[in-house]
Amino acid sequence: MKKDSIFSRALSLITYKNAEKAKTFTIPEVEQSKNNAAGTAQYDNNGQTSKKSVHKNTRIIKKPIAPSEQKNNKSAIKADENHISNNIASNMAYLNNKFNYPDNKDFIIREFIIKGKYKAFLVYIDGMVDRMTINNFILRPLLKDENFVNENEVCELDYILANVIETNQAVKVTKPDEVIEEILIGDTGLYVDGCDYYIFSETKGYDKRNVDKPLIEGVVKGSQEAFNENLKTNTTLIRKIIKNNDLMTEFLKIGEKNNNLCAIMYVKGIVNPAIVEEVKRRISSLKTDYISGSGMLEQFIEENSWSIVPTILSTERPDRTASHILDGKVAIIAEGTPFALIVPITLFSLFHSPEDTSMRWQYGTLMRFIRIGAFFFATLLPGLYVALTNFHREMIPTDLLIAIAKAQENIPFPTILQVIFMEFAFELIREAGIRIPGIIGNTIGIIGALILGQAAVQANLVSPVLIIIIAITGLGNFAIPDFSLAFGARIIRLFFITMGCFIGFYGISLGLVVITALIANTKSFGVNMLEPLAPWIKKSQDLIIRKPVWKQERRPDYLNAVDKTMQPLISRKWTITDAQNPIQDKISSKRRDKDEQ
Amino acid sequence: MSSEGQIGLFEAICISSFIITTKIFYTSTSFIVKEVGTASWYTTLLSCAVSLFFFFLIYLLMKRFEGNNIVEIYELVLGKFLGKLISICFCAYGIFYAGSTLREFVEMIKAFNLPYTPPSVIMALFIGVVCLIVYFGLNGISRISVISFFPVIAGFITILVLTYPEYDADYLKPYLGYGINKTLITGVLRSSAYDEFFILTVIINSIHGLKNFKKAGVISLLIAGISFGISVACYLMVFGYKIGSENLSGMFELARVIYYNRFLQRLESIFLFTWVISSVVSVSISFYLPISIYCKAFRINRHKPLIFPFSFLLFLVAILPDNLTEVLQMNLLVIRQYSMFFIYLVPVAVLIISLITRKRGAALNAQKN
Repeated sequence: MKKDSIFSRALSLITYKNAEKAKTFTIPEVEQSKNNAAGTAQYDNNGQTSKKSVHKNTRIIKKPIAPSEQKNNKSAIKADENHISNNIASNMAYLNNKFNYPDNKDFIIREFIIKGKYKAFLVYIDGMVDRMTINNFILRPLLKDENFVNENEVCELDYILANVIETNQAVKVTKPDEVIEEILIGDTGLYVDGCDYYIFSETKGYDKRNVDKPLIEGVVKGSQEAFNENLKTNTTLIRKIIKNNDLMTEFLKIGEKNNNLCAIMYVKGIVNPAIVEEVKRRISSLKTDYISGSGMLEQFIEENSWSIVPTILSTERPDRTASHILDGKVAIIAEGTPFALIVPITLFSLFHSPEDTSMRWQYGTLMRFIRIGAFFFATLLPGLYVALTNFHREMIPTDLLIAIAKAQENIPFPTILQVIFMEFAFELIREAGIRIPGIIGNTIGIIGALILGQAAVQANLVSPVLIIIIAITGLGNFAIPDFSLAFGARIIRLFFITMGCFIGFYGISLGLVVITALIANTKSFGVNMLEPLAPWIKKSQDLIIRKPVWKQERRPDYLNAVDKTMQPLISRKWTITDAQNPIQDKISSKRRDKDEQ
Repeated sequence: MSSEGQIGLFEAICISSFIITTKIFYTSTSFIVKEVGTASWYTTLLSCAVSLFFFFLIYLLMKRFEGNNIVEIYELVLGKFLGKLISICFCAYGIFYAGSTLREFVEMIKAFNLPYTPPSVIMALFIGVVCLIVYFGLNGISRISVISFFPVIAGFITILVLTYPEYDADYLKPYLGYGINKTLITGVLRSSAYDEFFILTVIINSIHGLKNFKKAGVISLLIAGISFGISVACYLMVFGYKIGSENLSGMFELARVIYYNRFLQRLESIFLFTWVISSVVSVSISFYLPISIYCKAFRINRHKPLIFPFSFLLFLVAILPDNLTEVLQMNLLVIRQYSMFFIYLVPVAVLIISLITRKRGAALNAQKN
């Protein structure tokens, strides 16, 4: 390769190089009738449009191979990465090698002989399987001779699959890599000498936590169930809410070394297929050794890693997940963490809580205003206080100014130092409260705040007014319904404190513009974070002011859902049954016409 | 599709309204009161009407060359050399406009809020934020305009409503001000204060063509005219023409006189938010305009590399005047009183030349054939 000269390298430092344009994703419009065919993802990469379709089920049941073909192919094939041998010894050697047996102690191969002449083995990982299922419903029937009536078919696994094994789920596996995967996820494989495939029975039996109450998204009214670490439990919790045959669950492998699974859930016929395609594209393109769960997965698939606000919604509530899925979004659940990731989202959806829909619209709307107010308190209040006391004292009403000045009188530190001290103390209390073990942890917050606050005031280290400011800020931070957004608010707060300290309200105004500009230009799976405000699109029925549930006829416009309507214009049919009332009839007929249009 | 991206009608209205209307917060109000006295509130409406007239003339030009932006039209009608030369003049004017607006803002914020902060610090921070917004391109500008539009309007209305107890309608008398001649001449000349809708001719391909261009232009001019008219009338009703002509910033002084009780008084610091945000957005739009013209004139696809050098030019223009008086007497007088001769008359002249030489756009040609 030709090496660049010093001159050209120096020149390249000061000349402009066209940056490589990242592949961007936008959600295309789809027609309702073409829900399945339409909606292939639009990628804008230097003006080019490409189409890509990914359809892969993790559990593929292959067309059975005819027994005659098997018999003709009896010459032994060595088991390797591409073939399953028809020789039991070769297959056992292959698996032993793959699982590092005998060093690897929890890998079990149980050999036995069917009807005294056919060698067979069961393969599984100890601890991942339910022993009772293996003993009672796989091993025992196989060792009972009376289960094998027709001697000629004994070695045919098809016969065993159809007549002997008593488990509820059993599949034929014909590829070596699938065999490894099945063993790793806790299923039990059966191999009989002479066959070139396995039968895997669903025997997962590892320990898991029970479905518990939500820990960080508690509500007063509404469901009290939360996800746990088990993938199947989580998908079932959603399926329990959405009893719909179009609810799709697809499994994808994440993490090349830890072989974790994640489920993608959506409702076919509602969601824009391009979103599903994009989610699958991003997840299946990941090349990394280890993904522990949703937290890591979120960081791998988010559009903008520099964004202060989260671009993917993380929730531990199945009801919230179900509601988003029915809106036309996609849920991603990774094994190992009790959270579902929802895409795409907007900033406003981070202020929503499942309680909003279970309460009447007036209360729900009020709660949202409180939460948005809380966000502004959490981000702006200390910064405004610093700016007020340093730059704009004339704005403070005289009585209040005197009170602040009196409180400040004996304190040797400037306001900014006090704010930094209190912020640091507050963050310490919060962090310590999480790390300290259970019983002490619950009380550390209150005790720490009381002792630290009171002692700091008495020691003339901080002004009592500032304690109130920091307390309100802290409360505001806790009132933000999304955990990640609350973290973002903490960073934004520090930014505003700095701006307010150095250049007053002017700096805070500039900071507001900067934060708004950054958020407005951040996308979540093709959706701008400030939609439908910027860019300005169709009015939403559930943005901040929540309309009554019976008036929310349409799904969010920015999702370009295949089925845009959630309910007809008249969802409460009982309101139009009064045939005696002519005015009511007139209104009803008008509504019906509109509805039909 | 335009390489700048596409924006909707509402976004176009917000962009155009912002850049025209932000001068309400500056010296514009007191300046017009000084010029025409009590007739200032309808003088500005007259200016708006004159601007609408010129807008329709420019609309005719754009219609004749449908599918082309103003830079392309100059080249089509006047030839490449002359067309580019005029585009560069417009580009230079855009820098001059943005720099002067920035300097006016900095002088005022220094006078009212940050007397001890060096102007270069205020300017550098301001330019940094402007560059960030412009970095996101027309889409970024349109988004920030839409988001800021509502709080700025809310702040504006709040000030006008809260100063209601100070209003005295007698301050609007004598209705004819300093005489009808003075009013008419100033009204026509001050139409320059509305000529910022010119940005729509540059970004016409990004706002879905002529139909939205016409709507956005007319609506933004009406919004600006009504806002100016009302604010000047309110300002006059509070201060009268004598004191009114001596103030620096009309709206700032209005916010200052708010007094309901010892708690609710002197809201100028809250007004500061509205003021700063609208100024940042307005300067961002006016800063984007010369960059966009330059890119179009020299067929440059990406505007981002130009932000840094243009920001230097912006800074240079902003620091050129010695003081606020020079900004007011030179820069702003040219921009708000005489720029119409350049912004309006050049496109009108191009329209006339195209009529004489029978040049028209490709779309119209195809239609005729």
